Amino acid sequence: MFQLALKNILFYRGRSITTAVLTFVSTMLFIIFVSIQDGSHKSMLENSLKIYTGAIEIYHKEYRDTGGNEYLIEDVKTITDKLSEIEDIEAFAGRYETYGLLSSREHSAASMISGIDPAKERVLSSLKEARREGEFLSENSGNCLYMGAELVKKLHLKMGDEVAFVGSASDNSFAADILKLCGVFKTGLFEFDGSTSFINRSYFDSLMSAQNRASYITIKLKNMDDAQRVNSEILKLLNDDALESLTWKTLMKTLVEAMEVDSIFGYISLSLFFVVIFFVIMIYGFVNVSSRIREFGVLRCIGLSGANIFRLLFYEIFVLSSLAVVLATPIAGFLCYYFQLHPIVIEGMAEMYRDYGVVSDAIPLNFDIFTILWNLGVIYILNFLSIVYPYFYINSFKPIEASRHV
Amino acid sequence: MRKILALITILVTAVFADEAHDIMKKLDENMRGQNIYIQMRMRVVSLGHERTMQMQSYSQGTKKSFVKVLYPPKDSGITFLSLDNQMWQYVPQIERIIKIPPSMMLQNWMGSNITNDDMVKQSSIVEDYEPRILKKEGTVVTIELLPKEDAAVVWGKIITNIDISTYTSNKDIFYDEEGKEVRVFLYDKVKKIGKYFIPTYWKIQPIDKQENFTEIILEDVQYDMNISDQYFQKSALKRFSR
Repeated sequence: MFQLALKNILFYRGRSITTAVLTFVSTMLFIIFVSIQDGSHKSMLENSLKIYTGAIEIYHKEYRDTGGNEYLIEDVKTITDKLSEIEDIEAFAGRYETYGLLSSREHSAASMISGIDPAKERVLSSLKEARREGEFLSENSGNCLYMGAELVKKLHLKMGDEVAFVGSASDNSFAADILKLCGVFKTGLFEFDGSTSFINRSYFDSLMSAQNRASYITIKLKNMDDAQRVNSEILKLLNDDALESLTWKTLMKTLVEAMEVDSIFGYISLSLFFVVIFFVIMIYGFVNVSSRIREFGVLRCIGLSGANIFRLLFYEIFVLSSLAVVLATPIAGFLCYYFQLHPIVIEGMAEMYRDYGVVSDAIPLNFDIFTILWNLGVIYILNFLSIVYPYFYINSFKPIEASRHV
Repeated sequence: MRKILALITILVTAVFADEAHDIMKKLDENMRGQNIYIQMRMRVVSLGHERTMQMQSYSQGTKKSFVKVLYPPKDSGITFLSLDNQMWQYVPQIERIIKIPPSMMLQNWMGSNITNDDMVKQSSIVEDYEPRILKKEGTVVTIELLPKEDAAVVWGKIITNIDISTYTSNKDIFYDEEGKEVRVFLYDKVKKIGKYFIPTYWKIQPIDKQENFTEIILEDVQYDMNISDQYFQKSALKRFSR
């Protein structure tokens, strides 16, 4: 039966070539489309994580829901000492965040002010890269503020201007100081740029009585894909019911959900394309089968069952699909792999779309064997489905009737 | 017959509504008089330890108030001025007058369990909320206050228990817009000062942080005294800070 299928493939060259070419194009497009989609999502996530959020963050359990000084992490050093033992962690730091009032001579605005360790933050986040004016914080920057561009606009500040800060210290006492604008950043995340300022942690700690305390500890991993595993390790090491360690999937739930929705819409668009391909393959198969009704009638008359006819059609489509897939997969796989290592760069894209949260010119593809395998599975299934209708069409003829069909 | 019943219902509702308004008005008069001077001690319990503060407050009518922190020495001289629902603060350490923006109005005031908005908007309870009597038990009337449609207020509902023998509240429960209980004000030790009654012990208990609370003890209250208009000008923030 298989040999008969091969003979048919060679005999009906036009149909075979069309089916193989369409399958080849579909396979290439599908693998590359999914790779671009996954790659850009991964890149979006990495960019967001690079800006400020860590791959893993450790909190006091009530801090994220209730907030307040009651739920600060006490004795940060003990925890960070434990984190040093985990090999897969690239960097970590405690951040002290508080909401306070910033006021220029004429204007006031609420701001999240975050005490950060400038040296560690250079590794942990891309805050330094987001600098637009002035300087990023340093070890000796004292009362310098590194402020979001939108907040600078709200307060009508210029570089070097003084800003009054009023807030509650970590012991709930009153805290006030005169700070100085030394740097301006713009990440493109409007809310973030409009409400956030950073200050050297050691200076802020003494103002806020927050030595060895932190709102949370942020962690950067050597490989982000290890987040779940490392998180389990951290929880085991901490062994403290009052603390929680969360991966980026929880921390960036909204972004993850938005990406899932985007993927769904991407697949819907792609499925429209597949519907067209599917019908073209099916119509070619159907036309081919229609012209072979007599042949199938003779085959049935000499004793082939309906199941044999199905096997024959199946072998034909299987061989043609496999031929296309075998050619398309290495090419598409190589392209995905290559552009994962060397992302497509569109110069000036980040600059142009910075306001929309785009922080990189690169569009990387994602090379993942498992993804490619399921892509191939979908191609095979669609091709197999394309023989169902032609098969039923042939079976609707009685063998004698088919053998006399003109 | 139906018309008579409807008329009676309307009349009863109107009488109760008027009575509720009347009670709220008398309560408000007790809380502020024509003007009022209060020296108070505030004890804030949080994080397992406590802080005590002392303050002077001058209020005139519903729109003007001036507060000066006397104790602890670290915060002494910090002043607050509320004028027409706006609020300014003067901090002597940095020698700056700062306007509190609307986005900060729900922040805790001086680390206590009262908010900046409480400092400014308490005056609007009579103006911004529609009172309705829920029940009467002896001399205690329970009134529900729902925000008027166009009122810019933060609470979804307030339930207050008012003792009509003194027209003072003994308990206020504040709810958010979803009807969730947020905090409770408890009042006690009612004193008669001149023609007014005022509770001299207040306790503010947030619902989500049961271990935290703020107590306010009114140490000295004087009504209808001659408070200079100078207290209610922006220049007062700095001048009376010393």
